[in-house]
Amino acid sequence: MKVRLPQLRILVLGGLVAAGMACQQAPPRLKTEGAPPSAAAVPAAVPADQLPYVYTRWKHFTVREGLPNDHIFAVKADGPRVWVGTEDGLACLDKRTGAIRAWKEKDGLPWRVVTAIDVDKRTGDVWLGLFGGGLARFSGGRFDHFNQLNSGLVNDVVYGVAIEHDNVWAATTAGASRYNVVTGQWTVFTEKNAPMEEIWNYSVSYDNGKVYLGVWGSGCLEFDVATERWKPYLDPDGEMEIDLYRDDGIIHVIVTGASHVDDALWISTYFGSCRYDGRHWRGFYAQETGLPSDFTNNVKGRSSREGWFATDKGLGVVADFPSDTVVSYTRDPQTLRGKATLYRSGKILKVVDMERSVPHNFIISLDIDGNDAWIGTARGLGWAIGTGYYPGLRKGADRRAGRAAEAAAPAGDPASGKRR
Amino acid sequence: MRVHTLAFLATILLAAHLSAGPKQEEAGPKPTARGDPPITVSPETRQVLDALDALNAYQVPDLKLKTDEKYAHIEKDLAPFHHVKPYKEYFLEQIGYMGAGRAIPEPDGVKTVKIGFIGPISPTVSVATGGRSHEEVLGKKMLQGCQLAIQEANARGGYLKRRIPFELIISNDNGLWGSSGNEIIKMAYQENVWAILGTIDGANSHIAIRVALKAEVPMMNTGDTDPTFIETNIPWVFRCIGDDRQMGYLLADYLYRALNLKRVGVIRASNRYGRFGVRKVVDSSRRLGHPIILEMAYPVGSEDFSLQLDRLKQLDVDAIVHWGDAEDGAPILNQMRAMGMKQPYFACDRCVSDAFAKIAGGNAEGMACPYPWNPTRSDGKYQAFRESFRQRFGEEAETYAAHAYDGMNMLLWAVQVAGLNRARIRDVLAYRTEPWKGVTGDIVFSSVLDDIGDVFLAKRERGTWKYYSRQDLGIPRGRAASAEGQAAGPPTGETGPRAGPLEGRDE
Repeated sequence: MKVRLPQLRILVLGGLVAAGMACQQAPPRLKTEGAPPSAAAVPAAVPADQLPYVYTRWKHFTVREGLPNDHIFAVKADGPRVWVGTEDGLACLDKRTGAIRAWKEKDGLPWRVVTAIDVDKRTGDVWLGLFGGGLARFSGGRFDHFNQLNSGLVNDVVYGVAIEHDNVWAATTAGASRYNVVTGQWTVFTEKNAPMEEIWNYSVSYDNGKVYLGVWGSGCLEFDVATERWKPYLDPDGEMEIDLYRDDGIIHVIVTGASHVDDALWISTYFGSCRYDGRHWRGFYAQETGLPSDFTNNVKGRSSREGWFATDKGLGVVADFPSDTVVSYTRDPQTLRGKATLYRSGKILKVVDMERSVPHNFIISLDIDGNDAWIGTARGLGWAIGTGYYPGLRKGADRRAGRAAEAAAPAGDPASGKRR
Repeated sequence: MRVHTLAFLATILLAAHLSAGPKQEEAGPKPTARGDPPITVSPETRQVLDALDALNAYQVPDLKLKTDEKYAHIEKDLAPFHHVKPYKEYFLEQIGYMGAGRAIPEPDGVKTVKIGFIGPISPTVSVATGGRSHEEVLGKKMLQGCQLAIQEANARGGYLKRRIPFELIISNDNGLWGSSGNEIIKMAYQENVWAILGTIDGANSHIAIRVALKAEVPMMNTGDTDPTFIETNIPWVFRCIGDDRQMGYLLADYLYRALNLKRVGVIRASNRYGRFGVRKVVDSSRRLGHPIILEMAYPVGSEDFSLQLDRLKQLDVDAIVHWGDAEDGAPILNQMRAMGMKQPYFACDRCVSDAFAKIAGGNAEGMACPYPWNPTRSDGKYQAFRESFRQRFGEEAETYAAHAYDGMNMLLWAVQVAGLNRARIRDVLAYRTEPWKGVTGDIVFSSVLDDIGDVFLAKRERGTWKYYSRQDLGIPRGRAASAEGQAAGPPTGETGPRAGPLEGRDE
């Protein structure tokens, strides 16, 4: 039987009230940590030799290869091009040749710090969120600048940008703005017309008729484009200093990213991460999953079973959600060699030593690009080359994937860093 | 023999290759000691500097992070959902900074060492702060405290490593359309400040620290008492003033454990300060078994509070707690008395001011407010600061000036010790465990880099404010003896009665 969301909310609320009443009546029940309020998804039991794909081939890009700056705030794959937003300029990398072209303020970029990028697939326009500089459209070699003085943009400190049909959404530090590129109309969303207890928007993404805002202090807000209605996802315990139950909702209201794909909503916070499938929530904490850290800057869902998390101590990938399988990519700070550690339900399955992995363990941004992935860090951009990538698990498959990647690698180095 | 020699050489070469570590061009600037700091530092700070000096761009210091057994001294009976052990408790371990900023070399050609200031110093209109701006009186004092600290540091030779002066970059925080974020960005990317001090309003502070996090600038707060300010896991943020959580706990203990009151009403400003500030009083009241009977909000700057007071009067509450500015709090008290309401009146720290006493006159007698420190302390350092402040500005220093003075001096110390690198400036403060001997008292940062030292209760007695510690009041943290000297009842929900139905989502 399918449970509708309102019914589910009533059930959950009822459960919480009942739990609270039970606590009031029966205080000796103190040993309840870890007990979820409702049945969350139980990890599927799979043999230890069933392994996820592991990215063993990486390329790094820094200022030496032509990036304008090493601090990578945003990355967006767009066919053969990869757009890179840095702390001091915009870059476009050609995957086929490795050539990089860069723009700074002297080249017309309206402001140096680029914190968000999205590409309008229909027009090819590149939309840039500028950290303190508003919003910019890069089209036909020209930058058009939108800010809070010349447009309906609610604030110039832009953390996120997303294209939704004819609309460009901007997540700003004082609300969200929506710009219709056809009509020229701006709409501002704040506490006046959206369920934002706080207006500090941190991320925006679009998927399948819905816009998802990650809001610092207001959780994740889902906007239905067809009905123009909002639905908030909040931490049910309502407290800043605790997470009462792991799987009862968002683990914390300070949300840094939200990415919906297939039927799953992946969410990142500075306190851990979580996933919602429309019925069940599941929280992810580092100490029990193998994810590198709870401090998570960003998230990107690849599918309902695979979510990528940008943490301050490495890249964490929930590689196969049903089996609770995680791959953590880090870089040894002394030898600078890479490492992939495979976990199942928090226990190490395998450690893969690699020549390279993420460019730096402080991961800020990421994007999925077919079989590949792009990772923006505090010191350079990483290209995870996914030749032979497969979703889910395969028996003894990571070695095969590694060999396949090596075999399929181009004879030369496609990303040798030639500067145009 | 020759084969053995070759094998030996190959082994040596392989070992040398493996031990060589990363290629230098990839590892960034070679770790080099930045020289001894130009001021004497403790062995503990020396250890921090040694650890920092040894790092490349990919490493983080192997230094002990602060841990707290209890977050913010929260006693069990005041903790949310205290009958259940939460799945996860946050803020018990310090968040480290994991980025690459420590490897950024010190710049050449610096003529002054810029430190940012952001605070409400010019009037404006702001939705965030509740309409017409009202915090300039506090912001100006905060600025004066910073100016005095900078002036004194420059008189001692400025930034001693290069013998150049410190410069205060002053920015108004008016909250209009979130402009505090823009101001921080200007300071971080255009003015190239090394650290920032500010601000007061909770909304603006949150906006500012989100920017500081991305731009990686240390930010010292000396005037925002919003508990949630520090509950954000940002490793770049410090606060050196007691917050509304600590003050709320003290007030709740005083109301229910010392005075044995039962039915308390709340009147508060309808802005973020009022909403968040009073929250710990409200939560604590409920958790101690005395839910607030009624909470009424008023627009900041109102002249008539009869709507709110009528409702409270009808309910015949035992006492009233006000959370808002002095300029509203005093007229509320006067109107209460004019309406014949004789209940004891309690208010937040902002009402401990000359402005309040002037407006309220004799009505202020007997009222009490929690306060973040004891400004009547006789400490010599504090008295010297007061004298310097008087000479420089011709005014008395107060809470916002004194805390800003301490906060700015901490930043200046960190710059002197760490050099011109924001991450290192952050580090020497964040890893410091020794108390900072400030004019406001000893400052020790918790695991969230917050000062959770003692707070006080200010009582208006015979025309002056008198400050009482928990010990003075007989209500040490946790369970306390009641005013009658009897042991307080057991925590609510164990065997004692519990007033009121389940409220909201809590308990």
